[in-house]
Amino acid sequence: MPDLSVQLNRLRLPNPILVASGTFGYAREMVAYADFRQLGGIIPKTVTPQPRPGNPTPRTVETAGGMLNSIGLDNDGLETFIAKHVQPLLSLGAPIIANVAGKNTDEFVAMARRLDEFPQLAALELNISCPNVSGGVDYGTDPGMAAEVVSAVRGATSLPVIAKLTPNVTSVPLIAKAVADAGADAVSLVNTIQGMAIDWRRRKPVLGNGLGGLSGPAIKPVALRIVWQVAQAVSVPIIGVGGIQSIDDVMEFLVAGATAVQVGTANFYNPTLATNLVGELAVLLTELGCDRVADVVGTLEFPVRR
Amino acid sequence: MSTCEMLDLGLPGVVADGLQVAATVLLNEPMATNTWRMRLGSPELAERMRPGQFFMARPVGLSDPLLGRPFALFDTQMDESGRPVSIDFGYVVVGKLTRWLSQCAIGTQVSVWGPLGNGFGPPAGNHLAIVAGGIGQTPFLPVIRQLLGLQTYGAAPSPAWPKPARISFCYGARSQSYLAGVADFELPGVDVRLATDDGTRGHRGYVTEVLDELLASADLPTSVFCCGPEGMMRATARRCRDAGVPCWVSLETPMACGFGACFSCVTPVRQPQGDWDYRRVCVEGPVFRAEDLVWEQGI
Repeated sequence: MPDLSVQLNRLRLPNPILVASGTFGYAREMVAYADFRQLGGIIPKTVTPQPRPGNPTPRTVETAGGMLNSIGLDNDGLETFIAKHVQPLLSLGAPIIANVAGKNTDEFVAMARRLDEFPQLAALELNISCPNVSGGVDYGTDPGMAAEVVSAVRGATSLPVIAKLTPNVTSVPLIAKAVADAGADAVSLVNTIQGMAIDWRRRKPVLGNGLGGLSGPAIKPVALRIVWQVAQAVSVPIIGVGGIQSIDDVMEFLVAGATAVQVGTANFYNPTLATNLVGELAVLLTELGCDRVADVVGTLEFPVRR
Repeated sequence: MSTCEMLDLGLPGVVADGLQVAATVLLNEPMATNTWRMRLGSPELAERMRPGQFFMARPVGLSDPLLGRPFALFDTQMDESGRPVSIDFGYVVVGKLTRWLSQCAIGTQVSVWGPLGNGFGPPAGNHLAIVAGGIGQTPFLPVIRQLLGLQTYGAAPSPAWPKPARISFCYGARSQSYLAGVADFELPGVDVRLATDDGTRGHRGYVTEVLDELLASADLPTSVFCCGPEGMMRATARRCRDAGVPCWVSLETPMACGFGACFSCVTPVRQPQGDWDYRRVCVEGPVFRAEDLVWEQGI
């Protein structure tokens, strides 16, 4: 039996299969379908300082091989999250990584400080990349601002800090380098790709919010490319996310340079997948003769131009 | 202590014994114009589903269509020993997934998960009026069968529903050829009242006008259950409010998961404090008291 545990700087996880924020509710919704104890980590839905009603409907629409969403960080705010969700989440037996979004550095810091009161949390993931909330995406597109938030949060909590980055920039490695230098323990690559769907007969966007974030198998090639580019350029552990729906997809991200992965959109249509992938990974690594996950991480042989 | 107990689910529609299985297509046939009936073999799902609940379905192993779509329980079949073994649902071909469904051969594997949602409870009083349109008639067959004592549903059957003295089943479509499964509802104890826009069968006009006749009669409905296009549900809710008759509606909103994870399917619901909040139709519904809903087009 290979050792599935992975180390991302200060964050140690029992295995590299996590579930992505916004695709797993607060875990209680998945009780019938997932074996929480087997998961490498659970990242519940993004929490904001104050309650947010979210965006107008329709909030999701399927596209070719993927989906657009503009949920808009619909949540009941940090204090309700703490009162209602944190203890039940911590009782599940999987590492819990709280995902937070603020409108400015002060809000991120205040949330980090409050959640620092729960040392049983495995880490904080900073959503500096939600395309559906104005303010959020700006942080993820500016290396200086991204570094400022990460650095300030590092100072406000002893929990490991993960920065979830947007693909909607010219150079993700530039941002990744900035947040790594600012003290991020890991980066999650990538959040959704901004997109839109149009009902041309009505001359209107399909989503109530107009624009949304594309996810699902359609974005896997983009996510793989970005994971690989960042792995080449920056020495920071990577959590790969984007269109994973099979063990082969998991392996592709690991080989590209990710130390762990998040299953996202597939949780919606295959809620038992993430649990199953943990077992499948152990079987596959055994077949490959690998003792640990790190044996395959970053093993891509990229063609060298002569 | 089980995980369920630790979680204190606190949401009526988070179904703790839900499951995902690959079910086999046993039957797939047209019921009416553009409207089909599919039968899926899955004892696990068949023995769990209750009236008014739904499940999600999608192709096994394809990425396009990608997401599941919600479908309401229409009927349940038993084997010789009385064990539920398969379920029927009705669907209208409107997009790529329902088109794929309509092309499924017998034996095709369909990924399904459920049961999902709260379902209907027993109606109040002695006269239940059902108002249905579109494909919204299908959830009411199990409601009626349970009320008539013809069948019980669910792994742990709920207490028997008191049988109302009268069930009025009002069902409308644009034309006779769109009326689907009417014969299934023609059971002793069910007063079937049809409406078509063009008058090719039953009342000529809207099904809500059939409801108007009932609401103006001496034998006023004591409960109204409604499922169909939003405009029809809104009109039904308005009539029931004006007549002082309690009304429950079963909503269908675009959803990605069906079990409460995605927060796509929200609808504005009145809160005790007097304002409203977006609530998830999949876990807090799909069945709501009509008076609890904030109808976005106005009631």
